[in-house]
Amino acid sequence: MSGSDRRSFLKQVALASAATAAASVMPGVAFGEDVLRSLSQVGLSWRKTPCRFCGVGCGLQVAVENGRAVAVRGDPESPVNRGLACVKGYYSVQALYGGDRLTRAMVRRDGRLVPVPMQEALDLVARTLRETVDTHGKDSVAIYGSGQWTIPAGYVASKLFKGGLGTNNVEANARLCMASAVTGFLTSFGMDEPMGCYEDIDHADVFVLWGANMAENHPVLFSRLLERRGRNPDARIVDLATRTTRTSYAADRSLLFHPQSDLAVANAICHEIVARDWVDRNFVENHVAFRKGKTDIGYGLSDDFSFTEEAEEATWDDYVRFLEEYTPEAAERVSGMPASDIRWLASLYGDRARRVMSLWCMGMNQHTRGTWINNLVYNIHLLTGKIATPGNSPFSLTGQPSACGTTREVGTFTHRLPHGLVSNEEDRALAARIWNVPVERIDPRPSHHTVSMFRALDRGDIRFLWVQVTNPMVSLPNLSRYRDAARKDGRFLVVSDVYPTPTTDVADVVLPAALWIEQEGLFGNSERRTQHFEQMLEPPGDAMSDAWQLIEVARRLGLEALVPWDRVDHVAGIWEEYTRFHDDPRHRMAPLAELKEKPGVMWPYVDGRETKWRYNTRYDPAADASRGDFDFYGHPDHRAWIWLRPYEPPPETPDEDYPLWLSTGRVLEHWHTGSLTRRVPTLHRAVPNAYVEVNGEDAGALGIRDRQRVRLVTRRGSLEIEARIDYRAQPSRGHVFVPFFDESLLVNELTLDAYCPISAQPDFKKCAVRIERLAVGSAR
Amino acid sequence: MTRHAPPPDTGTPTRVFGIGSAIALMTAGVLATGPWLNQGGELEVRVAEPPLAPIMAPARPIAAEAGVFREHPGGPAGAFGAERRPEAHPRTMARYRSQRAYPGAPPPIPHGLTRSEMRDQNCKTCHERGGFVPRFSAYAPVTPHPEMVSCLQCHAPNDVLVGVPSPQMNELRCLQCHAPGARQPLFAALDWRAPSWPRTDQRALPGSPPVIPHALQFRENCLACHAGPSAVAEIRTTHPERASCRQCHVVSTAESAAEVDVFVRPLASDFSRAGGTP
Repeated sequence: MSGSDRRSFLKQVALASAATAAASVMPGVAFGEDVLRSLSQVGLSWRKTPCRFCGVGCGLQVAVENGRAVAVRGDPESPVNRGLACVKGYYSVQALYGGDRLTRAMVRRDGRLVPVPMQEALDLVARTLRETVDTHGKDSVAIYGSGQWTIPAGYVASKLFKGGLGTNNVEANARLCMASAVTGFLTSFGMDEPMGCYEDIDHADVFVLWGANMAENHPVLFSRLLERRGRNPDARIVDLATRTTRTSYAADRSLLFHPQSDLAVANAICHEIVARDWVDRNFVENHVAFRKGKTDIGYGLSDDFSFTEEAEEATWDDYVRFLEEYTPEAAERVSGMPASDIRWLASLYGDRARRVMSLWCMGMNQHTRGTWINNLVYNIHLLTGKIATPGNSPFSLTGQPSACGTTREVGTFTHRLPHGLVSNEEDRALAARIWNVPVERIDPRPSHHTVSMFRALDRGDIRFLWVQVTNPMVSLPNLSRYRDAARKDGRFLVVSDVYPTPTTDVADVVLPAALWIEQEGLFGNSERRTQHFEQMLEPPGDAMSDAWQLIEVARRLGLEALVPWDRVDHVAGIWEEYTRFHDDPRHRMAPLAELKEKPGVMWPYVDGRETKWRYNTRYDPAADASRGDFDFYGHPDHRAWIWLRPYEPPPETPDEDYPLWLSTGRVLEHWHTGSLTRRVPTLHRAVPNAYVEVNGEDAGALGIRDRQRVRLVTRRGSLEIEARIDYRAQPSRGHVFVPFFDESLLVNELTLDAYCPISAQPDFKKCAVRIERLAVGSAR
Repeated sequence: MTRHAPPPDTGTPTRVFGIGSAIALMTAGVLATGPWLNQGGELEVRVAEPPLAPIMAPARPIAAEAGVFREHPGGPAGAFGAERRPEAHPRTMARYRSQRAYPGAPPPIPHGLTRSEMRDQNCKTCHERGGFVPRFSAYAPVTPHPEMVSCLQCHAPNDVLVGVPSPQMNELRCLQCHAPGARQPLFAALDWRAPSWPRTDQRALPGSPPVIPHALQFRENCLACHAGPSAVAEIRTTHPERASCRQCHVVSTAESAAEVDVFVRPLASDFSRAGGTP
């Protein structure tokens, strides 16, 4: 009996005896019988957890009754959301109870998936993994996870594959989502993740949203922006975007630009800041250095593409010369955004009296120059010194609950280790020491990033692939190629998930997974906040946590020494081991006991204090005060780097055959590939299927009516889908938009697998498409 | 103000004495003539301690405490007594519960939305103050949290009902909420067991005020839901004019009960009076 069980049991006994006593003292009087009955309903218990969905990381409280989750509310103690949630959060517990939950392991026999005992499936996974390594070499096996991995699961995956099997074939879907943000941080600051935090919202006067539809995709933070504007009549929200969304309607100004031209706009803002002498010279002299990288860097469209960045030192004068061509007028010609608006934007950033926050997510990250545009927005904040102080904050948002906590901090990417890079000798030595493996086992060469990994699966270089907590057969760009790859002979696909999906459809083994609060775990959100959740529910049937599945397979491979933990407290053991990688004031994390008590803790956590503003010597214990107000210690020169990054066009632009831009994204009610949210009736009924959003004038010219079925055609595929006109957002003329959550209407069969050469993150936001009317009657 | 001026500088011992008495005088002066000092300025001797920071009202009032005193957004108390129009669509407890997945869940939007309503989220036009809405032949329920403006963040629309034009004709009125297909099939079946709803009208004694059986988060303004013609009949208060609801009604949810132990008086320790009794 746990402490809380015992407590409630005692309470029930006490209540019962109190009721009896009351009745005996005053017979015949209805002495609060109803009240006493209601008081005795002590079965409901509320416990804290971060939300399962996006990277905002709202604190929720879940009510459990008779072993089932029955209700949700926002955690008023959480500084993230202060008691509020969004509709996905409020209905999140229903996603645990879809009627088609996977509760048994399945193995493909004679073409069909048939249920088998879990232990038998795990035996088969381990045996096939071992045989594939023996026959085809260690780099023929791979694991592909996600930013929904708990920190323990991601850590065990990295340790098993990098430390146990010696392959760097470890990737996560965060590559499709956050990789450009990471390379942006690393190139500009030498360290990943934001310097500021959500509290910046409560201090800022201006919010510039760079292609982020926050009202739909980060709704709770967007409410916080609106609240800030409500309290501060001078606060302004400016929406920079390629389409007009719910966020644009709520903003004070909506400024539209052509796809890819954000590069030119950001440089033009800097041009104007320099021309008007709005530069914070003191800050730039003391804390900024300049770098030039390669240009004309390609788009990664062929299998043999490779790229290595080289940073070259530059000077202030080089930078000013570089900016010369980016006059607001020149940027207007590329972007379609009036020069006067660019000047106005520059004046907001340049005004010393205003604190400015820039916010972005997929608009800047899913971009064939994603690293560059991240650098360029940092340039604006560095030129004006508006960084790392309350309210002055370039802030990269995330889309998954543990994109930061697991994939970025644990480092579940091919080139990463829990601390640092596989290519760095010291980092390998540290990992070998903590993992107690020979240092030679850790391969110093990164292998495949995500797109490359699935191309390798297609070619047969990778033969065994284990997918956990993600649904690549909906979310990969240029999907048809990779689905065909996964169905090829001589491949073996293991999929751990909670519901059947297009990815389990192509699996050889399906392992039923525990979902969210059916296991103990930790997530890390966008503001460096680590949050713990305990196991509140039993997983259904044979379902097992992803971390424990990996441990079971590791043991079958004879790698017990790598996973010495027992089932009851493995999370504590893993956390203790993992945090040894970050035992440094720049990244130290809170002990588990504190994480269990608090609504999350932001790292670096030093001497019992969390760090709200990194690099600021007033707040950050790792920053050296002798360097002045700031110490950008991520780079060896203790400076932040302004990068000279030009505008370069996207790989595919509309032409005669494919005259429109196609962009993809999310809607408020559905999360990612919809495998959870579509099982929630309220969310499903809000948006039952995907649609193509068409501009009203374009629709008129093409003769397309609302809800008419049309065909979208790109060079990679075609899709019949319902057109929506003036539905919830309005694309600009010459643009269409399709949400990607719908597994029956796979827009990713149309998208292009071009990527940013530095981050290897694909661009799901830009390719050329044609829209065709279907003859009336051809609709379903 | 000259009576507070320090004595002339007459050497160190005298100076110490002088400053000491000046401080004493000053302190007395502050007590006696505090308000004048604000305009002072010629004073040469300053109190060593820094001035007290002004007392700031809390930026964020405690919602559970302050919210209850917010007026009914629909207006002054007089409006509560207004006769309900007989043709108004009734709001019942059964329907209220059927629209919520669990007690406290944000209800989805049960009615049609025009495109501009979807775009502008101008829900508060009707739901801030309430009142009779001919379009639905119903009284608009009043939101208890009008300060939240991103309504669709928590309240999901129904796709089938989006883009339904605002009807002028009576016969189309029902379709505003009851469109064919408004209960369209699910993507997958759901095995959901909602917790039981708390009983209303829980009273300690016959005639005593019923307890508040729900949490207050985002529902701090009692009158929004419990008063006026849009209130669900079963929970409409008879006395909306008494503004201090929680003077008589206490929160008593299963969870608040779980946090409170039954009062047990601590045992008193024995003692004796050594000196006897008088």
